Amino acid sequence: METRQNQMIKQFLPALAAAAILTTVVTGVAAEDAPPNRTLGFVVKDWMPAVYESKFIDECPAGLNISNDEIWWRGLTKEERSEKTLDGLITTLDRWFVAKNRGPNGEDVCINPEVIDDDPPLLTVEGATSFGVNLDGNVDGSATLKSCKHENFTSPAGVPGIDNQLYRLIGCIYGFRDQGVIEINANEMRRTSGLAMILIEITDVDDARNDEDVTVTFYRSVDQFPLDSSGQVLPFSSYRIDYKDDGPRYGDSIKGSIVDGVLQAGSGDVRLPYYGNYNYLHPVIRDMQIRLEITEDGTNAQGSVAGYYDLEQYLYHTGGLGPVITTGNFSCPAFFEAAKRMADGYPDPETGECTHISSAFEVNAFAAFIVHPDQTSEMETAER
Amino acid sequence: MLISKVKRYLGQATCVAFVTIALTACGESEPQTGGAPPDMRRLTVEQYRNVVHDVFGEHIEIASRFEPLIRTDGLFAVGASNALITPSGFEKFYNVARSVAGQVVDEDNRAVLVPCAPVDMARADDACSRQFFAEVGRYLYRRPLSESEMETAVSAANEVADQFDDFYAGIEFGLTGLLVTPSFLFIIDETEADSSSSSGLRLTGYAKAARLSFLLWNSAPDDMLLKAAAAGDLHTDKGVERQVERMIQSHLLARGVRAFFEDFLDLEKFETLEKDTIIYPAYTINAANSAKEQLLRTIVDHTVNQDAPYPEIFTTRSTFIDAQLGRIYRVPVTRPDGGWEAYEFPEDDVRAGILTQMGFLSLFSHPGRSSATLRGKAVRELLLCQKVPDPPGDVDFSLFNDPDAPSRTARERLTAHSTVPSCAGCHKLTDPIGLGFEQFDGIGQFRVAEQGAMIDVSGNLDGNEFGDAKSLAQAMHDSPSVPACLTNQLYSYAAGRAPERDEREFVRYLESEFAESGYSLKVLLRDIATSDAFYAVTQPKNKTEDVRAASLNSKTKQERGS
Repeated sequence: METRQNQMIKQFLPALAAAAILTTVVTGVAAEDAPPNRTLGFVVKDWMPAVYESKFIDECPAGLNISNDEIWWRGLTKEERSEKTLDGLITTLDRWFVAKNRGPNGEDVCINPEVIDDDPPLLTVEGATSFGVNLDGNVDGSATLKSCKHENFTSPAGVPGIDNQLYRLIGCIYGFRDQGVIEINANEMRRTSGLAMILIEITDVDDARNDEDVTVTFYRSVDQFPLDSSGQVLPFSSYRIDYKDDGPRYGDSIKGSIVDGVLQAGSGDVRLPYYGNYNYLHPVIRDMQIRLEITEDGTNAQGSVAGYYDLEQYLYHTGGLGPVITTGNFSCPAFFEAAKRMADGYPDPETGECTHISSAFEVNAFAAFIVHPDQTSEMETAER
Repeated sequence: MLISKVKRYLGQATCVAFVTIALTACGESEPQTGGAPPDMRRLTVEQYRNVVHDVFGEHIEIASRFEPLIRTDGLFAVGASNALITPSGFEKFYNVARSVAGQVVDEDNRAVLVPCAPVDMARADDACSRQFFAEVGRYLYRRPLSESEMETAVSAANEVADQFDDFYAGIEFGLTGLLVTPSFLFIIDETEADSSSSSGLRLTGYAKAARLSFLLWNSAPDDMLLKAAAAGDLHTDKGVERQVERMIQSHLLARGVRAFFEDFLDLEKFETLEKDTIIYPAYTINAANSAKEQLLRTIVDHTVNQDAPYPEIFTTRSTFIDAQLGRIYRVPVTRPDGGWEAYEFPEDDVRAGILTQMGFLSLFSHPGRSSATLRGKAVRELLLCQKVPDPPGDVDFSLFNDPDAPSRTARERLTAHSTVPSCAGCHKLTDPIGLGFEQFDGIGQFRVAEQGAMIDVSGNLDGNEFGDAKSLAQAMHDSPSVPACLTNQLYSYAAGRAPERDEREFVRYLESEFAESGYSLKVLLRDIATSDAFYAVTQPKNKTEDVRAASLNSKTKQERGS
């Protein structure tokens, strides 16, 4: 039986330029000697929408959207501004809950976005380049059985037919772009609250670097990230999965493969937990695909997830953003209208309106032991 | 104390058939020793804490550090015999005493911890004070208070109670006084005349009880032991054996064994252990605490709960881990939110035994890198009782630390460093051992290479070649020096001093008995605790060294006729 030490040597050797002398050790270990049915585990640290940004914001020729507060402010007389801000003492961030109650009868326009129809239209992405994948199988954006007509992107690498209408929707909103508060805030909340910790478990692994048939399962963890003294996630920690009754609360699986340390899996429908900006969701991402590059030492995995995101769930989140609605910079009514218009996945059989929106996310995950209630001793990580 | 040996041997199948032939067929008798002059040992922090918690409850907080003891002959227990209390050290004891006394009499505790209620809370109550100090003083002084000690405590308490119109203020004051007296802070070898002893002296029953209790439980004697002392039982072999057996069966033995190994392995170093968290992000204060706890849990479970052979602590795959250690060892834990769980390293794992645990590996490393030298030195000095000379004052580390040097592994750097003649001698003692642990970094995480170069972990332990840390652990397991060192240090720990010249034969006898028992630590403890040597005292070397005269309570002892 191969020792753990030899397993580690096998993994380390490719990184050693001067390891020729030990080649016999590597080649001498037959593939069939590797322990079968190994399990690799990862915990997701970062999950952010994949937003392609050009150097001069060319994808948004009319610029970025203005904030809800600004739209509200523009609609007030000088006397009203004084009255609603205690003569200017209440500043932008602190008046968010006043600013969003600007419906005809004082309604919250983020929770009731249809009460207003005269906000400036949302500025959306007009560029041709986006991250993501071809979800519907065509490159011209025409409607299919599971998609509505839309405009496709080309990937930065030149792949045509990229479906990412979520990017088109949010790409010109400051809060969703790089360093924007909406996603930064949501991601940080996941870290500190532990409410939507996503675990990725890769099973049936015979070779951690190359295996043509693996299963990828997604769980929610009930344990939070242990952090080091600088606040970074510590790899190789253990996480228990969220169980409900006799089974995991989440646990959808997709099939895939690992080629030279790159996991590619999907597509399949996967329900995931989401928490951010005080909203807890559990959307199904339909036709989900995942691509993760696993480091040689198995410590880290980075890549992307793409699929059709449940629009209703997504709008539930954006409608309840709270204070970041002000600093995130967009109009809820305009956003709602644009989202409905841009939805491109899974048309409703009765109305023909699409219920999902094509999307892509960047994912950063760390090695983890995923603890099942009944099989803790069988857990392994990428290193083993 | 031959009877206990006979009983034990009777239980061994190999000897049963021969027991009628001769006792010597099963074991030799205890060599006679003269003992050492009476001494006094300062309580360690842990002993202080244990005594207070045993007497008043674990909810009493002791939030202070005392003056450190000086590690002598490899043990703080020996250093405790040479401890002084400086004025600032006394202040610390005084502050803790006030805090403890305050907690004992506070409104939440007084009903339970003070065994009587005063007639009037705003006045002194002589009878109730007397009852309190009689009960508490017996445990704190490990003997009944003398009449004058009682009068001192009670009159002080009464005076303060009347002055402050508060009975409990008086109790607090009197208790504070007890907690700062030498009779509490020092374990004193009080003696009495004994015509049957070659020295004409013997330890009092209470002094014997204290020796026993601090050895086996690391705390003051309990009620039963004090009663046995009062009845004179501890001057008989049977009486001692009965108490020793009871104490060894107690769950408190684990506390005593922990205390010994904490001292033996110099685990106090954890108090000041620092690591560069940029290099070792997984190192946190919680991880360090877990590492120390794992060492002690492993050892106590192995030697006490399992009563397994001592040398197997170097090879056992059984241990305990928590979430902190799971990350270091890269194994899953079932309770990531806290708690300990039993764990057995797989047979093919690189780890086995305490020397491959984070505790040893991180304790004997530098803040930013591993250290074959420190690890080898620790093995030599702590576990094999071999002294490694200190480095010369003008040692030149330039070759070792040269960032431009072609050497990438510790072995290469140490080889270059050891070309300096003044360094080579000692490094030959330490490095061949320590290099066997080089596949573990400065906090004990496994690695196969350093700066891109594969790590060679072969080495040599006193002529025994080994190929990796596990075979080094096996070499430790097989080394006769390992149990011999433990025996010597355990006896030193028990006696509070290194063995006297005439006790060497006795220590060899203990080694022999230890081997005969299959290296059972419990048997070794029993042999020490029931031996005559453990209690033997000689006359003080001169009048000025007479601890009875040194004790502030010498007058009161005379009153008791001790």
